[in-house]
Amino acid sequence: IAAAYLTHQQKVLRLYKKSLRHLESWCIFRDKYRFYACLLRAQFDEHKDLKDMAKATMLLKAGEEEFWSSQHPQPYIFPDSPGGTSYERYECYKVPEWCLDLWHPTEKAMYPDYFAKREQWKKLRDQSWGREIKQLQEETPADGPKTESLPPARREGDLPPLWWQFVSRPRERPM
Amino acid sequence: MFIDQLPQMFLTCLSLTMVLLILPIILSMVTKPLNNWPLYVKNSVKMSFFTSLIPSIIYLNTNMQSCVIYYRWMLVSPIEINISLQFDQYSMIFMSIALYVTWSILEFAMYYMHTDILINRFFKYLLTFLISMMILVTANNMFQLFIGWEGVGIMSFLLIGWWYGRTDANMAAMQAVIYNRVGDIGLMLAMAWLLINMNSWDIQQLFIMTKNMDTTIPAMGLLLAAMGKSAQFGLHPWLPAAMEGPTPVSALLHSSTMVVAGIFLLIRLHPFLENNNKVLTAALCLGAITTFFTAACALTQNDIKKIVAFSTSSQLGLMMVAIGLNQPQLAFMHICTHAFFKAMMFLCSGSIIHSLNDEQDIRKMGGIHKIMPMTSTCLMIGSLALMGTPFLAGFFSKDAIIEALNTSHLNAWALMLTLIATSFTAVYSLRIIYFVSMSTTRMLPLSPVNENNPLIINPIKRLAWGSIIAGFILYNFILPNKTQMMTMPMSLKLTALIVSLLGLIIAFELALLTNKQIKIHPTKILHNFSNMLGFYPHTMHRLMSKLPLMFGQINATQTTDQSWTEMMGPKGIANLQLTLAQKITHMQKGLIKTYLSITMLSLLVITAMIIYF
Repeated sequence: IAAAYLTHQQKVLRLYKKSLRHLESWCIFRDKYRFYACLLRAQFDEHKDLKDMAKATMLLKAGEEEFWSSQHPQPYIFPDSPGGTSYERYECYKVPEWCLDLWHPTEKAMYPDYFAKREQWKKLRDQSWGREIKQLQEETPADGPKTESLPPARREGDLPPLWWQFVSRPRERPM
Repeated sequence: MFIDQLPQMFLTCLSLTMVLLILPIILSMVTKPLNNWPLYVKNSVKMSFFTSLIPSIIYLNTNMQSCVIYYRWMLVSPIEINISLQFDQYSMIFMSIALYVTWSILEFAMYYMHTDILINRFFKYLLTFLISMMILVTANNMFQLFIGWEGVGIMSFLLIGWWYGRTDANMAAMQAVIYNRVGDIGLMLAMAWLLINMNSWDIQQLFIMTKNMDTTIPAMGLLLAAMGKSAQFGLHPWLPAAMEGPTPVSALLHSSTMVVAGIFLLIRLHPFLENNNKVLTAALCLGAITTFFTAACALTQNDIKKIVAFSTSSQLGLMMVAIGLNQPQLAFMHICTHAFFKAMMFLCSGSIIHSLNDEQDIRKMGGIHKIMPMTSTCLMIGSLALMGTPFLAGFFSKDAIIEALNTSHLNAWALMLTLIATSFTAVYSLRIIYFVSMSTTRMLPLSPVNENNPLIINPIKRLAWGSIIAGFILYNFILPNKTQMMTMPMSLKLTALIVSLLGLIIAFELALLTNKQIKIHPTKILHNFSNMLGFYPHTMHRLMSKLPLMFGQINATQTTDQSWTEMMGPKGIANLQLTLAQKITHMQKGLIKTYLSITMLSLLVITAMIIYF
């Protein structure tokens, strides 16, 4: 489960993953990368059975500093990841679903089945909205939510809270 | 038989060229969009190109040039502003080449943007850009030139920010506009000076009137304008950032046509610079710094489009060097040949990017020459032409510039920088070829690799033909205005070739070293300096925002209230009084030493006065 603070294991693993990614940016050819990745793994494995948390934290700090000094200035970022070349590229084509309500009746008449079904779904949304809000209010702790994840539907015949936003999200690649 | 009808043919074809370009725009505003609007636009540009070939051939044959005044727009006597088009050597050849390159790019864009919903708008923007460029190039007065200048700037903004949902694209578009605006200050300065002192904006009149005048101010203004538009050092960061736009935009605007507008301005208005040694030296030094710095930055980039963008910037620096050597024609020839191979390199990159599912990092490409033979071949041809391989297109212009550089009286520092930049060109060209098409494959296994589409193959092939023969054709049919230095020692003649070969050999060695990977990362200082573009964008963007804001804050909060109302008034006087009072109290503390020293000092002063007066 995700919590507000990172555990030591999470921190070490995050350092390992980002050092591997930056190593991949430096060592372009796969065989050379594999060699240096094995060396890096050996560096991490050397102290993996350490029980003393103070020493482990000092080692982690030293590792972070070594990472900072030897990081790549232009690390390889996947195109669809944040910072990549095609991240958010199609945001400008994503239209929210409430625009469908603003269509002219003649345009809506071109797709009668779809809009008829859409009316049913909207009725369902209005009916379950009260219950979703009640569930969220019951389940949120007093000083605010701890994580960003939404709970599933608990009761029989209920829909998951805020399902409409998820179901009516735009396509990843708008056509 | 045709001889007596040549002038009519000439002017008719030129008018038809312009009309064919404007027709789709007007049609789009008047009627409903056609079924295949991109195809219609591409065909219009194609017809426009063929129509523009006739006057170009007539010019190459009979040296016929014309200057047409279409419409008297404003008359605030004595200043007359007309819509007048000048079809001389520069504008006609550039028009044909720009239309050829645009035709190829539009055909490629039909493939590249075919999944885009707003493809019609994209083509309309590209066509509007082309029309603005034509207005700029054929302008016979400064006002029309300015209209074209601003037009290409605005279309650049709209096209770089095509995917406006992306923050980076919006930032890049803003950078382009702001850097261009700083350059526009220079252009407006030049225009204002010309208007005030010459009372005219007509280029022919200006050349006659400024023959023996000191034209330093407008020339410096024009240099600043070229600095902004052609991404010279100081106003260069917008060009690599402009790679946020789609590849057809990068190919058309930021390699062949828009960025050369600044150099074209200097070529067109060269008589202002001819006799002005200060400005020529400034242009030479600026060009040398630009070409060296941007070539150095290109050495460690990992995005294929950024490498080609820096390569463009470096070649623009070389064109500026040619202008600084008082050889505008060599610069123009380099513009023409550079358009072909640079646009082709961008189209090849676009084809590779689409085939690898939007992957732009060369670290994840490799072995392309086996799966995309045509694209990698043409990339190789483009890189060879860029390096100045003998008898390809780039050789005729680049070699001529380096020869002129070697045989002129100029500072050795500019010469060294340009030669080092030429060798760097070979290095980063090999970098692209090595990481993209040679060596092992590092791309994802299930990439939709497909170059078997006539919309890709035909444009690239056309531009490849251009890269190979355009230099030869231009060189043979255009006589230089200024006599070049024909005789020089063999070592000077072969300098460009030797330097490029040296660069190539060093690059091969470096590639071998990269393959062995003896240590994880290279020397951090040099690599990081080159990779982060000399830290120039980071420092300047923050400094240029912070300084005016700090100045404004200090002004608004401290200057008025603290300085004028306090320091100049009560508090200032009080401080002065306080200091004086303190000094006098010190003197009257009852210390004998103080009294004695004051007495001695006064006696000394009185004695000195008695002696000397």
